[in-house]
Formats: sequence, C-alpha cells, structure tokens
Amino acid sequence: MREIAENQMLKPEDLPVREIVPPQVRQFGAVNWRGLWTLYHREVKRFFKVFTQTLAAPVVTTLLFYTIFTVALQNRVGSVGAVSFTVFLAPGLIMMTILQNSFANTSSSMMTSKIQGNIVDVLMPPISPLEMLCGFLGGGVTRGFIVGISATIAMMVLVDFPFHNPAVILFFALTASIMMALLGMIGGIWAEKFDHMAAITNFVVVPLSFLSGTFYSIDRLPEIWQSVAHLNPFFYAIDGFRNGFIGQGDAPFWLGATVMLSVNLVLFLIVHRMLVTGYKLKS
Amino acid sequence: MTDRPDLLLGGTPTARRFGLLNWLGLLTFFRREMARGFKIWKITLAAPAIRAVLFASVFGLAIDGPDATMGGLPFMTFLVPGLITVAVLERAFESAAFSIVYDKTEGIFGDLAVLPLTPGEIVFGFAAATVTGSLMVAAVVTAALFPFVGLLPENPGVLVFFVVIGALMIGLFSQIAGLWAKKWDYINSVQTFIFLPFVFFSGVFFALDSLPAAIRPLAQANPVFYVVDGIRYGMTGQAEADPVFGAFVCIGVTAFFWAVSYRLFSVGYRMKS
Repeated sequence: MREIAENQMLKPEDLPVREIVPPQVRQFGAVNWRGLWTLYHREVKRFFKVFTQTLAAPVVTTLLFYTIFTVALQNRVGSVGAVSFTVFLAPGLIMMTILQNSFANTSSSMMTSKIQGNIVDVLMPPISPLEMLCGFLGGGVTRGFIVGISATIAMMVLVDFPFHNPAVILFFALTASIMMALLGMIGGIWAEKFDHMAAITNFVVVPLSFLSGTFYSIDRLPEIWQSVAHLNPFFYAIDGFRNGFIGQGDAPFWLGATVMLSVNLVLFLIVHRMLVTGYKLKS
Repeated sequence: MTDRPDLLLGGTPTARRFGLLNWLGLLTFFRREMARGFKIWKITLAAPAIRAVLFASVFGLAIDGPDATMGGLPFMTFLVPGLITVAVLERAFESAAFSIVYDKTEGIFGDLAVLPLTPGEIVFGFAAATVTGSLMVAAVVTAALFPFVGLLPENPGVLVFFVVIGALMIGLFSQIAGLWAKKWDYINSVQTFIFLPFVFFSGVFFALDSLPAAIRPLAQANPVFYVVDGIRYGMTGQAEADPVFGAFVCIGVTAFFWAVSYRLFSVGYRMKS
C-alpha cells in the first residue's frame, strides 16, 4: 500500500521510460520448424486417436490374410524359387499393408479436412507448401512404418523368415510409404466426395497392391502381363522389399531403386505444384 | 391427395388410419434404404465384384496348376461359392449398421423413433433392404466370377434360400451392431475383430478338413460355416455338412438375432435416450 502511495506521488517524467514493443512476427529461418512439427504432430495424433481402426485393424487383417492363404494353399503350392510359399507370402503381405495404410492416412486426412472445411487451418498458418507437404507426408510414412513393424512382429510368431538385408528392407519400406503417402495426397486433393476416395481405393489401390506380386511370383503371369508388371511401381516396391527379406527377387535392386526414386521425385513435384497453385484447395 | 378428402374439403385433418401394417410407411422406409445403397452403387455393387475377381485371380495364380483340389472339388470351383458368400455377407453387414451409424453421427437417427412405424416394421424394413441388396450383389458377383470356371448354380432354389438366410442373419446382426455403435470406430471394430474372423474362418477359402482336427469343432460351431456350405451346395451340388441341418442352424440363429433386434428397437436402445 505504501509503495503504491509513493508511486502515486511520482510525477510522470520521473517514471522509468519503457519502450512499448508491438507484437512482432515470429522470426524463423528457411524452415518453420515449429509449424512443420505441429502439422506432423497433428497428423500422427489423428490416427493414434483411433488406433483400433488405423493400427490394430490392419495388423489383424494382415494376419487373417496370411492364415487363410496358408491354410487354403498348403500342399497346393510348393516352393516359390528357393523359399517355401509361407516365407514368400509374409513380406508381400507386410508390404501390402504398408502401401494401403500410408495411402489411407494422407488421403483420409486431406479428404476429411476438405469436407469439414478445416483445411483452411492448414492453409492459413505461416507454413510453405513444401512444409505442408512434408508434414502430411511424415504422418503417412509414420503410419506405414508403425503398421509395417507391428505386422512384421506379429508375422514372426507365425512363420520363420530370414532378414537377408535390413538396409534393403528399410529402403523399400521408406520409398514405398513415401510413394503412397504422396499418391494419397493427390487423391485427397483431387477427390470431392468420400465415394470418389472409396472408388480410388477400391479400383486402383487395392487391385494394384493385390496383383503386383504379393501372392505369387510374377513369372506365373502370362508373358504380356509380365511386361505390364514391369511398368508397375507397386511391383518394384513389393519385389524389392521381399528381396530384402529372402534375398531373391524378380527384378535387380538397382532397377527397383531407380524406379522408386524417380516415381517419388515425380509425385513429389506434382503434389508440390498442387499445393503451390492451391488446386481444388484454395478455390 | 385422393385418399385425403378431408383435406380437400377443408375439413379438420384426421390421423391417417392403417390396418395391421403401415404399408405406405414400410414401403417408403424400404425405398429410402434401397436408394441409399444404390446412390453409391460403385461401392455397394461394383467394388464387391472387383474384390471377388481379385481374390479369384490371386488364388488362381498362386496355386500350382489346375488340378489342385479342395474339399473334393477343383480348387477354383470350391473357391467361387466362397467368394460369392463373402460378397453377400459383407454387403449385408454394411447395410443396416452403416445406415444407422450414419444417421447417428448426422443426428437424424431419432427420426426413426417418431415415425408411425412399429419396431417390427423397422426391423422388417431394414431386413428387406438388406436381403434385396445382397441378392443383387450375389447376382453381380456370380456373373463376374463366371469367366473363371464357368460355374452355374446346380440347385438355384437352395442357392437363393441360403443367400437370403445368410443376408438376413448378418443383416440383423448388423442392425444390432449399428444400434450398439456410438461412432464409426465401433462399427469398424466389430467388422474387423468379429465379423471378418467369423467369415474368414467359416470355410470360405478352405474346406474344414484342411484345418487341424483340434479347431475343426470350433469352425463347425460357426453359423457362417453353414451359410457358406449351403451356398456351395447350391452352386456345386456338393457340401461338407447336411444342407438341411445347415438350414435349421441358419434359421435358428436368424430368429435369435431378429428377436434381439426387435427387442432393442422396442426399448429404443441408444435411440430414444
């Protein structure tokens, strides 16, 4: 009380001079790390919140597929190359679930934001198109990896498969999930309704992941379809990934790696362009 | 207009009268449910056909040669009825439950409670739409799979019976699941963790004698097994269990689900609260 009283007796010119600083724009360098991290964090929290649907369900589905295929085809399929059918099948199924889940994450996130109208919350903040792309991409890749690793662990209980070359496994898991996360973004940006998205999933993603060598070696295909398969990036993803496990594949490593890297580069540029121009997002 | 002369003449509106069943209401409700399915026919009709063709291609390419057998039938002949069953049952599961949960999330589910429809009529309306939709899926998928083995129904009557009873059974289960579900995650969980295992382990893709003897009785206790087996009997004339016994099991389980669903709609479980 006394202090206040004393203060009141001070004349204005005796008051200490304090510069009044208006709120400043937050300064950041070339990359808005906090913004990027926030978007990535949101993307990861999005699927963790419904982990029974986004993590547990894919793993259970993968195990179901593994079981029905092995029970149905036991004694009806000998070996594929030098390995038994079950060892051949396991990596294919793991890759299939990585592909489907990386795609599902970015596409559904984009789609839901657009439909609910909260896409502006991503367009307004001070993040560049490149940062936005990386944030979404990170979410998709993270989900692909978590599902892939869980499926691998679950599968190890059922079947004993080798880890021939972990670096190759990692390379293809990464490039494949990036590819699908980018495709998911393209799909999510392009689609206007949930049934457009369901159509892409049902008529493009699922058929490609089924028919690209998950369940059989492509030398079983008729000649003409073999050449078609060699134009299909899904095939290289599955084949290369399996090669990392069992050390045998239909295509050489350098070819698979080149295809995956170039496809990713093209998709990356397309998505970046879409975000820069605001195609179907800012109109 | 013609059946409401009271309004034409400017008299006081009176409550519409109907007999034992509110036919107009039931028909309207049925048509709404059918329209919902048809509006997204790419997902409800084309997608199941594509999936069945995918499974058939994948199994066909994976097996060694055309002389592999299963349950005493050529492998693909064994597989085709199984794939038809999966398509029918998936459609049945997705019918009522998806409608109910969609309405719940949109906040319009309470509309059902204020309609002049009795619980019995609602259950019947959903069930009728499910069965009609499933029959269409069965026809589309059978046609899509025809090029694989050229399989035509051996006993069409039996086939239709088991498609109808299978769709009813799962359709009623779907109503119960839909009523229980508060959000989409609930229904997706039921689908992945209950429905799919029951369907996949029912003899869709393999004969029960491929299973280890220890778990065979479990598979025989699975009502879906009798649906698959009945549909296979209808398609190929060959079955693992007695189709008559199977029919009774299916009717029994269906009646049970009907009673449960009827009861839930009567008390307005998660509907009027």
